[in-house]
Amino acid sequence: MSTPAAMAISAPTQKKTAAPLIVAAVVAAIGFALPSLGVPMTTLSLLAQASIVGVLATAVGFLVRQSGFVSFGHAAFYGGSAYLIALLAAHSKLSAEIILIAAPIIVLVAGFALAFIMLRTSGVAYSMLSLAAAQACFELMMKWRSIANGEDGLAIKLPREVFGLPLSIFQRPDSMFMVSWAVLVVIVVCLWFLSRSHFGTLTLAIKNNEERVRFLGYETLLPRAIIIALSAFIAAIGGVLFALYNGFVTPMALHWSLSGEALVIAIIGGTRAAWGPALGAFIFIFLRDIAGNNTTHWQGIVGITLIVVTVLLPNGISGALVTLWNRARGVSNV
Amino acid sequence: MIIQVLNGLVYGGMLYILSVGLVLLFGLRRVVNFAHGGLFMLGAYAGYAASMQFGFWGGVVFSVVALAVLGALLDRLVFRPLQNVDHMITVLVTYGLLLVFEDFVHTVWGADLISVRVPALLAGTIGIGDTQFPVYRLVVIAVAIAVALGLSAWLHFSRAGLYVRASSVDSLTTAMQGVDTERLSIGVVALGTALAGLSGVVAAPLIALSPSMGSSILIESFIVVVTGGLGSFVGAFIAAIVIGQVHNFGVVYLPNVSSMLPLLLMVGVLIWRPTGLARTQS
Amino acid sequence: MSKAPSLVARGLTRRYGGFTALKGVDITLQSGEIRGLIGSNGAGKSTCMDVLTGRGPDLIGEVQLEGVDISKLSERARRRAGLARSFQKTNIFPELTVRQQVALAARRAEFDNTEEVLSELGLMPHADRLAGDISYGDQRRVDLALTLVGRPKVLLLDEPAAGLTLEESLSLARMLRALAEQWKLTVMLVEHDMEVIFSVCDHLTVLHLGEILTEGSPEAVRSNPEVVKAYLGSTFA
Repeated sequence: MSTPAAMAISAPTQKKTAAPLIVAAVVAAIGFALPSLGVPMTTLSLLAQASIVGVLATAVGFLVRQSGFVSFGHAAFYGGSAYLIALLAAHSKLSAEIILIAAPIIVLVAGFALAFIMLRTSGVAYSMLSLAAAQACFELMMKWRSIANGEDGLAIKLPREVFGLPLSIFQRPDSMFMVSWAVLVVIVVCLWFLSRSHFGTLTLAIKNNEERVRFLGYETLLPRAIIIALSAFIAAIGGVLFALYNGFVTPMALHWSLSGEALVIAIIGGTRAAWGPALGAFIFIFLRDIAGNNTTHWQGIVGITLIVVTVLLPNGISGALVTLWNRARGVSNV
Repeated sequence: MIIQVLNGLVYGGMLYILSVGLVLLFGLRRVVNFAHGGLFMLGAYAGYAASMQFGFWGGVVFSVVALAVLGALLDRLVFRPLQNVDHMITVLVTYGLLLVFEDFVHTVWGADLISVRVPALLAGTIGIGDTQFPVYRLVVIAVAIAVALGLSAWLHFSRAGLYVRASSVDSLTTAMQGVDTERLSIGVVALGTALAGLSGVVAAPLIALSPSMGSSILIESFIVVVTGGLGSFVGAFIAAIVIGQVHNFGVVYLPNVSSMLPLLLMVGVLIWRPTGLARTQS
Repeated sequence: MSKAPSLVARGLTRRYGGFTALKGVDITLQSGEIRGLIGSNGAGKSTCMDVLTGRGPDLIGEVQLEGVDISKLSERARRRAGLARSFQKTNIFPELTVRQQVALAARRAEFDNTEEVLSELGLMPHADRLAGDISYGDQRRVDLALTLVGRPKVLLLDEPAAGLTLEESLSLARMLRALAEQWKLTVMLVEHDMEVIFSVCDHLTVLHLGEILTEGSPEAVRSNPEVVKAYLGSTFA
């Protein structure tokens, strides 16, 4: 159930893109086939959850990969988008379709504006700022009872049909897994293409050495702001899926523990490959389910795993898989 | 009104003691310790546990010493081995430590709120104008002032303090000029964590103990450190006092949006001076 | 050398607080020449390059590139106008392949000669490896390739041979000499290694405490008693 495996291997050897693409297509297809293979509903529910969290983690991982910024506040974009949907659905006359599309776009614009403030600081300050800003959003929704109903949260009023599909499609685990899996696959594939484009190379170069890029004749502020905004947008898409699936949003969707979780997932999955964070999400959600039945120390386990992976496997599980894959194909690891 | 200002000073003083530890660590190691809120929490719980046996003051001493030892261990086991890797790795590792600390506290003391009693000696109130103000709160302000004065004297008049100031401006050059950063750092990190412990144990009677107490104050102390200018001692002091007032003002007069105020203040400062209040362009 | 000058700089100055690191230096580079910029540590060599390329705040002085005033341009606009530089420390992109980064640099220049530069600098065998994974000597060459690609008009190289063995340095110098002739480049080179300087430069400028001590041919500079006293003393006495 891993995601389009082996996609990132191809960077140095452009001619060998066929094999990874085939693997990716096979993995995607297996995902789509799962509901019809008699997989139990509880597993499908975990799969749907993992796909949705996977979208959030992919956003965080993408930001790390293309800009080096480690965000401790992506839940603000995710939960923010869910809150936007809930509030617009309650207070505006817009159709559900428009609201569902508008929410991530508003987040995209907000993320773009925010980027120019965030970019005034250095890398470490970015982490601190993202945490503080996101937590302020959490507190705001928590305390502003008249608008957001505090910690009880808001029900999201959606019509019976959305985009011509019955709403139940989005709220049953089996069909919602198909939907969110499709979204996740599309996002990962888009990011993979982005990472191979000129813009991907340019932003990676800026991450490595911003000043040198300026001395090569490039503007460096705008590309970084675009990366931050895109990452916010992806997290917001995760928020849309979350809103559809749960039909309900509480401040916990903004809480920093969710931001931290998404970051941990991205780091454990590995950020060097576009599909790493998504893989991390499936591993994380299933392990948490197993651990939940056996121990109360999940948080400590996560902490220790994070430390071990950061120190010993800087490219995460996906990085280790890529190394193994290359070794199996007799390509030297680059 | 004066009561509000005093309450703001109490909160600001607590924030200052915690934040200045972050500044010490950043100055020397160029890392931001995400586990710092966890240390604050451990300090509070350690003090609480020890106070059962040795009374409140015994708890304070135990907490500060225990956290200093923990800091020395952290320096040797975490910060030193990781000093030459990407700083983001250290950030992630300290975040992992925060999760572990929270799990530890959760396991030992449970998730329930624990309240700590103000020591009998300081339990009274004192008349200020026509209202009564708790003596203990004044003591917290006094402790913060004492820390500020002590730290400032140490930074300006001792050899080690001089190195710390030099290093927080330019660690590479300081190291090149023959300062033994390694020997220095174990002491400085221990001092920083001991201050986190002190702020935790001093704050304990004012706030309830819970495994999540560390993360919420961590966020405010980040705002202090960024607003003051990363690595600036004076900046952290000014920012902590100002944010203490803003925080308190918000809680009293604008409860709906109180959490946004410190953040907006920080954003304003960053737009005005990207390197923070006290940091000049380097 | 009767051709028009490539680069004319007047009154280059840089102050750090009360300290003046560069005190009104004038430099004229003739088209096609290789100029050596030498001086002891703190003489202002790198600062001079910084001011020429628009790095840092408070740029004082006038810079003309082939007759066009570029004094008011940002660092990136100067590179696009044809003034390229390398840095003292290796300054490459470890997460990009060698070819990717040279191509990135070429994209902003007048024309793309990535493949030519890669093969001239002997980087072809490593073209598809990540720059972070190749040897230090090769990384120095990648650094040079980033500066050289797209055939800028004037090249400012800050210790391109730093950290290389003498043999590697001299081979780098020979290559530079050949490329400069082949592509009609104007080069200003900061270098500590006098063997490299004397084997490649037509002309030397000696900086001392932020001012020009003397200029002239390598032979003249080498025998100038002031230079020997201020700088070369230890090496050539």
